[in-house]
Amino acid sequence: MAGQVGKMGRALIFPVIAILLAFAVGALVILASGNNVFAAYGALLSGGFGSLQSFGRTVVNATPLIFTGLAVAIPFRAGLFNIGGEGQFFIGAITAVAVGILLPGPGPLVIIAALVIAGLAGFAWGAIPGVLKIFGAHEVITTIMLNFIAINLTYWIAQGPLVGEGLVPGTDFVPETVRIAKLGMGLGGAHLGFVLGILAAVVAYLLIWRTTKGYEIRAVGLSPGAARYSGMSVAANGFLAIALGGMFAAFGGGLEGLGTFGKVSVPFITNLGFNGIGVALLGRNHPAGIVLGALFFGGLAAGAQQMQFATGVPLDLSDVLLAIVLLFVTATRLVEMLIGRRARALAAGTKLEGGLA
Amino acid sequence: MSPDEITALLASMVRNATPLAFAALGGLFSERSGVINIGLEGMMLMSAFGGAAGAHFSGSVWIGLLVALLVGLLLGLLHAAASITFEADQIISGTAINLLALGGTGFLMVTLFGAGGTSPRIDSFGPIAIPGLSSIPVIGPALFNQSILVYLLYVMVPLCWYLLFRTPFGLRLRAVGEVPEALDVAGVSVVRMRYLGVGLSGLFAGLGGAFLSMSLLSAFTEGMTNGRGFIALAALIFGRWNPIGAFGAALLFGAAQAFVFRGPQLAIPQEFIEMIPYLLVIIALVGFGGRAVAPAAVGKPYRKE
Repeated sequence: MAGQVGKMGRALIFPVIAILLAFAVGALVILASGNNVFAAYGALLSGGFGSLQSFGRTVVNATPLIFTGLAVAIPFRAGLFNIGGEGQFFIGAITAVAVGILLPGPGPLVIIAALVIAGLAGFAWGAIPGVLKIFGAHEVITTIMLNFIAINLTYWIAQGPLVGEGLVPGTDFVPETVRIAKLGMGLGGAHLGFVLGILAAVVAYLLIWRTTKGYEIRAVGLSPGAARYSGMSVAANGFLAIALGGMFAAFGGGLEGLGTFGKVSVPFITNLGFNGIGVALLGRNHPAGIVLGALFFGGLAAGAQQMQFATGVPLDLSDVLLAIVLLFVTATRLVEMLIGRRARALAAGTKLEGGLA
Repeated sequence: MSPDEITALLASMVRNATPLAFAALGGLFSERSGVINIGLEGMMLMSAFGGAAGAHFSGSVWIGLLVALLVGLLLGLLHAAASITFEADQIISGTAINLLALGGTGFLMVTLFGAGGTSPRIDSFGPIAIPGLSSIPVIGPALFNQSILVYLLYVMVPLCWYLLFRTPFGLRLRAVGEVPEALDVAGVSVVRMRYLGVGLSGLFAGLGGAFLSMSLLSAFTEGMTNGRGFIALAALIFGRWNPIGAFGAALLFGAAQAFVFRGPQLAIPQEFIEMIPYLLVIIALVGFGGRAVAPAAVGKPYRKE
């Protein structure tokens, strides 16, 4: 038991140091913009974690980030960089909302159908860069291009075949029965999606660390040459990993579509895919870390609104802070210089093997 | 299409290609030296903002341009420090810079201009017709009635080719990206060459960003790069890590973007037309990128043995 705690503690050192350093830099930014650091950070923390209601907002923000974080982490384990979470999320959202609007039937069944079909759509969308990679197209660029294509496709569906009648551009609301139930307990808009998120993290963990396929995926990511020598297909495992990533992102989108919003409006919520990258890296590409990272960043986003309201510091600071955290998390030599050589061993899970080859 | 419409389309192609080409040249110097620069998008965005803000507060587009270049250089050096000195994963470092630029420009928009969205309008680099050349039928006005930044690009492309392939500096830079050990043994600082390469990429991204907010448009709008930094990388790959090739690829992708706004009206929805540039990039990479060979040492930090 002590060994486990020690292991987890060591795993947390890197992200925690990165967060502290980022907040230090953030404090300089706040000072430079003429604001009071304590007031700003105080509002930031209380806005995210200060009350049950704030925590509810944090949970609402964190829920989709768990999914988009997993969408990055699973392909990362196979050595691939999935930046397509944004587009995969959109595909999931519009698919789930479309099924919710078009499929008649009892609420719970429609919800399940919507999420399953959304997941399949995400799997397919994630499979595209997987296939393209086999033809030599690097997934970093193809996934980003597919983001733009997915967003355009989603907006076309939301304003074309599925357009609603309200004043806000986009689809109609899905029927009330197809909305995801709220958690209650004073947590405001937080819904069951959060529970499903934790479940998804558990499933992802089991998939990657407790199945043969997961072992292959990790082997291919850690050492493609050795894996190939043992008969594992780098291409096939990479393909599966990135398709699974797309599926998880799409689940997240579907849950937001049916839970938080109930429709796809134009414009729809953005940046969840990109912030998922930060969450995944902060969480060392491990499902447990991702849940924690999602809560951290969800709290940051919720708190940023409170910070802007109370002190006038623009809420974009939370994006800036996340970017700085990311830089520190991956710039391992910097932390090494700060806490000694043991840092290198702690840095597992923050680097991809291989480059653009 | 009428000759006038073709000219307008070609002119738009050149204008759209310019930021792509500048950024691609930036990516060229970085990758040739062995460092992947995914952060071109963020560098362009932040430079675009710097240019617009600099021009607005100083009243001079030239100061704006200087600010844009400085911002690009600084972000380039940040990426260099993170990936070279602190051995960050180069793709993650680049991604962090993109996120930093997105949040940072939003933050600065509110702090400096009071509100997000679009900055106040600035005087921009307007078109200057080159006498004689701009009178050539159809292509003349398209190629030679453009802003001074476009003419700078025309000069930069062959200049970069010469620099990279005909000078000792270029040879060393390329060697650092292929076999850094060889240069280390010969006494050349791998770290210094890579800082130069990545710093240059920041400068070029700065030129691309400046063009966006101070020539293509006359203001900064949040998110205005819209993926151009990544399209530029695709142009680089499609152009085989060669300035001439990258410029050609930039023209191709620029043509696709021009088509979105000035092409003949087709019977398909606007959203699908807007997908065309991104689809073209994917097709280009799949069709021809597979046989492209990146500099051998790209993507890996260099540690002295």
